[in-house]
Amino acid sequence: MVDLPVRILENKRINGKYYKLVFRSKRLAARVEPGQFLNLQIVPGTDPFLRRPFSYYRLEDERIEILYEVLGRGTALLAARAKGDGLRISGPFGRAFKKNLGKKKRILVAGGVGVPPLVFLSERYGCDYLLIGTKSREEVLPKRELAGVRGKILYATNDGSYGLKGYVTKLLENLIKNFPAKEIFIQTCGPGVMMQAVIDIARREGLEGEASVDKPMACAVGACLGCMVKTPSGWVPSCTEGPVFKFQDICERL
Amino acid sequence: MPPKVKTDLTTRIKDLVFRNPLTVASGTFGTKGEYAPFVDYSKLGAIITKTITVNPRAGNPMPRICEVTGGMLNAIGLQNKGLQDFLENKIPFFAGIPTPLIVNIAGETTEEFEALARALEPHKRVVRALEINLSCPNVEKGGAGFMRKRERILDVMKAVRSHTGLFIFAKLSPELGDVLEIGEDVVKAGAGGLSLINTLKGMAIDIEKRRPRIANLTGGLSGPAIKPVALRHVYEAKKALGVPVIASGGIMSAPDAIEFLIAGADLLAVGTANFVNPSATLDILAGIKDYGRRHGLENLDQLRGTLQVSPGHGDAGGGG
Repeated sequence: MVDLPVRILENKRINGKYYKLVFRSKRLAARVEPGQFLNLQIVPGTDPFLRRPFSYYRLEDERIEILYEVLGRGTALLAARAKGDGLRISGPFGRAFKKNLGKKKRILVAGGVGVPPLVFLSERYGCDYLLIGTKSREEVLPKRELAGVRGKILYATNDGSYGLKGYVTKLLENLIKNFPAKEIFIQTCGPGVMMQAVIDIARREGLEGEASVDKPMACAVGACLGCMVKTPSGWVPSCTEGPVFKFQDICERL
Repeated sequence: MPPKVKTDLTTRIKDLVFRNPLTVASGTFGTKGEYAPFVDYSKLGAIITKTITVNPRAGNPMPRICEVTGGMLNAIGLQNKGLQDFLENKIPFFAGIPTPLIVNIAGETTEEFEALARALEPHKRVVRALEINLSCPNVEKGGAGFMRKRERILDVMKAVRSHTGLFIFAKLSPELGDVLEIGEDVVKAGAGGLSLINTLKGMAIDIEKRRPRIANLTGGLSGPAIKPVALRHVYEAKKALGVPVIASGGIMSAPDAIEFLIAGADLLAVGTANFVNPSATLDILAGIKDYGRRHGLENLDQLRGTLQVSPGHGDAGGGG
């Protein structure tokens, strides 16, 4: 873990949904695994007050890419930062997705800001299926961004403008019929409602898996106890004990 | 040009010696080595632990934190693993760090405060002082609301005093009532010093959902927003009571810290700033050293409590 200043190499909108932020740091890029995150100070000073956690999207040597959506004031201010501007970043934090699944099929279920870490995971360790849910075609990542995915990508859009019409969980329901439950391992990241629907399916069908939970966060090191997740052993900080949790360790509705 | 000197930052409170005035506010630095990747703990003047209670506490429901203008609200609810875990797992960790440890304690009853004081007494090689949390805004029993009854505070102070030889700081806030009056009373009841201030109780509302942004409804406000209030209380307490004071409340930078020193603070507890900048303590320390050099200070006592107030001003309260 390090805390250091970086310079923005690139910060631009890449489609109707995502912005891409690029910077370089050998130390922040060292020993990062998919599912881990960094904590970024958007603007120097104290407004916005807290740093914002972002998952790692892509690493190429020292080059780090982050994919984000403008969801509030902080990310809107981030979108306005220019090439050459400075940022202060700490990381890498948290527990990553399980990499070695043995003979199990790796099925990734992604939506919204959950897409970047799962693309990272599939680029590095491969997957059998990457299921991506969006509202419409405009929000689907450009082809070049998904060129490195080592696995089959299936899409679902709410309006049916690309891939299956409906929620990404419909894709999942269809897909799991093809494999015995014991051979499936699901890894999901995205909006809470989506991940909860995935967990509900997994519980019903007896499937194993992990979800990367997203909680309001401050310190990122397990000190403030703000980002708690209810587990069988009580409230634990998602920044250090997660953000990736096994389905059975999540004892709350996301 | 003032002479370039290296300022001696050594800070003394009775027989306690701190290598510098920098410490951390309770609850913002974890209970063990959470910040070790960013901060060499041996460079800090002192470490103040997160509040320890006799029994483990599960803490409050989520959401527990939210960002507000100039700071954040929190209602963690004193989540901690309890006294036994602290004695078994945390004391050995801090025993290996050459920095004085100040243990923050809270109880729901006078007996619990007493039990904590008694249990920590044998560890005085590691535990160098106690900070008595009398002002948590986020718990019922033992919290700021509960302690608004003066006799409860005084009972606690007397009980702790009679069960420990350790130096005692009483952590107060304006939530309890008049800080100076209470400060005077707790000092009479056995506190050696004061810790000023705790978070201030506040609220934030999600206007789309019309729901509180903190599940507990209210939370403690911390960060730059409360700094002027903290500074005033530190200044007034030093002036009126003259006892050692740990200052906390919005210390984000070296200039903030230096303001508190000029107001008279003995120790400077960096709190919420740790969440925003994990290296905040050491950044602030470097800034104080630089200030000391620029101003030709040989030691910090040449700075402490040196606020220049024009005659006839600064005695009365109130603005306008």
